[in-house]
Amino acid sequence: MTRFLTRAGVLLTTFALLVACSGNNGGNEGGNATTAPTATNNGAGTVDEKKDPVKFSISMRTLNVAYVEKHPDINEDKYVKKLEELTNSDLDIRLIPHNEYQDKMVQMFATNDIPDVVQGSGGLSGAELAGGVANGVFLPLNDLLEEHGKDLLAFIPEAAWDRMTDDKTGNIYGIPEVLTNPSRRATWIRTDLLEKAGKEIPTTVEETLEVLRAFKELGVEQPFAGRQNFKYADTFFGAYDVFGYLNQFKLFPDGQVKPSFFDSENMKKAIQVYKTMYDEGLISKEFATVESSDFRSNITSGKVGMWSMNANELPIWGAQLKNNVPDAEIALIPSPVGPDGSGGYAHYNPVTRSYLINAEAKDKAADIVKYFNWMVSEEAELFFSYGIEGEDYQVVNGEPKFEVPTDTEGTDKMRYLNYWLWMVQDTTYNKMVSSLSDSGLQMIDAFDNMLSKEGRRGIEFDPRLEALIQNPDLNPKSDEMPPLVLEKVLRIVYGKDSLDSFDQVLEEYLSKGGNDVIKEATERYNSKENSFE
Amino acid sequence: MVNNQSKLGYMWKFKTLYFLSIPGLLYFLVFKYVPLFGSVIAFQDFNLFSGVFGSPWVGFKHFERMFSHYDFINILKNTLLLGMYDILFAFTAPIVLALLLNEVRLMLYKKIIQTVMYAPHFLSWVIVSGIFVGILSPESGVLNVMIGWFGVDPIYFLGDESYIRTILVGSGLWRDVGWGTIIYLAALAGINPDLYEAAEIDGAGRWKQTLNITLPALLPVVTILFLLKIGDFMDYGFERVFVFQNPLNIQNSEILDTYIYKAGLRQLQFSYATAIGVFKSVVGLTLLMIANTLSKKATGESLY
Repeated sequence: MTRFLTRAGVLLTTFALLVACSGNNGGNEGGNATTAPTATNNGAGTVDEKKDPVKFSISMRTLNVAYVEKHPDINEDKYVKKLEELTNSDLDIRLIPHNEYQDKMVQMFATNDIPDVVQGSGGLSGAELAGGVANGVFLPLNDLLEEHGKDLLAFIPEAAWDRMTDDKTGNIYGIPEVLTNPSRRATWIRTDLLEKAGKEIPTTVEETLEVLRAFKELGVEQPFAGRQNFKYADTFFGAYDVFGYLNQFKLFPDGQVKPSFFDSENMKKAIQVYKTMYDEGLISKEFATVESSDFRSNITSGKVGMWSMNANELPIWGAQLKNNVPDAEIALIPSPVGPDGSGGYAHYNPVTRSYLINAEAKDKAADIVKYFNWMVSEEAELFFSYGIEGEDYQVVNGEPKFEVPTDTEGTDKMRYLNYWLWMVQDTTYNKMVSSLSDSGLQMIDAFDNMLSKEGRRGIEFDPRLEALIQNPDLNPKSDEMPPLVLEKVLRIVYGKDSLDSFDQVLEEYLSKGGNDVIKEATERYNSKENSFE
Repeated sequence: MVNNQSKLGYMWKFKTLYFLSIPGLLYFLVFKYVPLFGSVIAFQDFNLFSGVFGSPWVGFKHFERMFSHYDFINILKNTLLLGMYDILFAFTAPIVLALLLNEVRLMLYKKIIQTVMYAPHFLSWVIVSGIFVGILSPESGVLNVMIGWFGVDPIYFLGDESYIRTILVGSGLWRDVGWGTIIYLAALAGINPDLYEAAEIDGAGRWKQTLNITLPALLPVVTILFLLKIGDFMDYGFERVFVFQNPLNIQNSEILDTYIYKAGLRQLQFSYATAIGVFKSVVGLTLLMIANTLSKKATGESLY
């Protein structure tokens, strides 16, 4: 089949070229997958190396990083060139658009056009890998890591390697990038508004509502930033510990493992908070259609008093808000706590990105592992934090001197270097750059002293529960409730259904396949099969 | 033998024409017929890596799953309703508009109107949805400001399932009505002006002329286009619906195409998605054949 597909693909593309000028609609299939950015032969030969650089292709999600998305050809970028020079490699980066990541990845597998290194997004059974691990597409890395990846083995914690290990064979199939502090999202507040309103930093849900009301009185357009599907607006579900996401299953007193929204008492309280906010105008009346770009521009243009976002965005969002509203002051504050005295957001998977090596690239695999091993070296840290010596920073008396950029162009570049191009690191925050600015120090402090203590952890199954795959309506995302429940919650918030009708949706959930979900979850939890806590 | 020889000779005589037809034939072969074989995965548990030849056959399992899905009736209802509304409004509107445009005598004025009305067709659905979301917004939208003048509270159109079909059909109408007039205007241009002159001499007014000359002349085109439209009755299009969907209106906006995307492609259930696709095509084909037969009997016009 694969050969048939390749042939058909070649035929299709050739033919697509022929008919392209007629503008027919038939060509869309061939166009998508096969015209990934082609290899550009860069002039690596200019540096005389002892050994030929290892040449390999790698697919990378753009992650909405502006520097990458605006770049005419990332393979010609000077930092990529420098990276190649430092690691004696010759990269052929194939970009995968952020928003179509999964679809494009699957197309890549379907057309058998897989690069030497494939970037996954954490775990071996994610939909973006299309079952490739189970079907022997990738190389087991255990021996290679022992031999060439000692630093990686030392640097990356056990929990992250566990995610990269196939339970059936015990093989490691990928090199993970780690998030050592999985509590990444934080609650943000405009302290200048707080001061104007004469309020203290709120700690409980009730106090938070009082602050939001005070913001409303001050004339703040959106005291709390709502967003479609409660993404990054799930603060109060966190206070009551009822997220119901993919990694938020809980063991209930009856001994069954269920999604956390089955705690209907707390769930109703959380929904009531949103309903109150909606009724009193503390969130936008049309938050059900607010997309990520609107969300960001609402906040950075100063329309919002309180919101939730990844804490590592503090320096950048802070700078942009200050550009628009010079008086604005932001702080990361402890998330409002619920009846159990804690709060916060759903913890992230400890693996943010991972790199799997194509079984067909066996000959290069050792060098590729060496390349990733370099990523955790001191040389790498300096390069990915500051950039190129003499150009981005100077060395004075043996000490690197670096100015943290504050303009959009500069921050975009830093984001690219610190976060995107540095493929294996602890991606919680960039220590070297953050410790140079006030907002950076504030962020480090928040991560180390506040966020590490909050957040909600649940039971997660990887590979996903079979019953969830069979019932798309019951299948939650990593940070969204299952469509069936989400729909109901929104209807209640918008006043279309009563609060008590939430119990009906639980019944519905059970009757539409939820019983299977709970049964399978409980069984897998009890047998400790691929479940993470 | 002789017959064969003469056939070959015949073909040789018109070799240029046959040669010219090769690209067209290839096009249909490669893009329309080869992909048809892919439909067999609807009867398999398709595995990306084992391929069509390695995946196990499972018979009608995926079809059964589709028909037994608790929301299947609702999704099918939405698909059919939207298709019907589309035929009722989006199909007839260009005809009416073309007739009206045909009555505009001032050439420059007519050209300007036409150009202005074509323009939205070139916008992608993502942009169209952006424009409509802007217009319909309860806080800043023009429409809500206008109904505000009459003392009506702002309405969250996109957050209410009872408006979504109107929005879908309306936005499609706005985007494509001008474009749809092209073929009718061409047909109208082909009508012999002598007919009108003769009618005028007989004392027919503009209304009678439209009724007795223009409409009958348009009928063949209308029939053919209608049959084509019936052929993709179930193909409401994925994108135009998807960009307007949100959890508050999904009850009335989920159609087969969007469901295929979510259940099939997002969850990698290729076989299931294909089964739904095959079902869609079969219904489309059946409808087309029925309509074609009816039309042949009633008007004598038909596709084949």
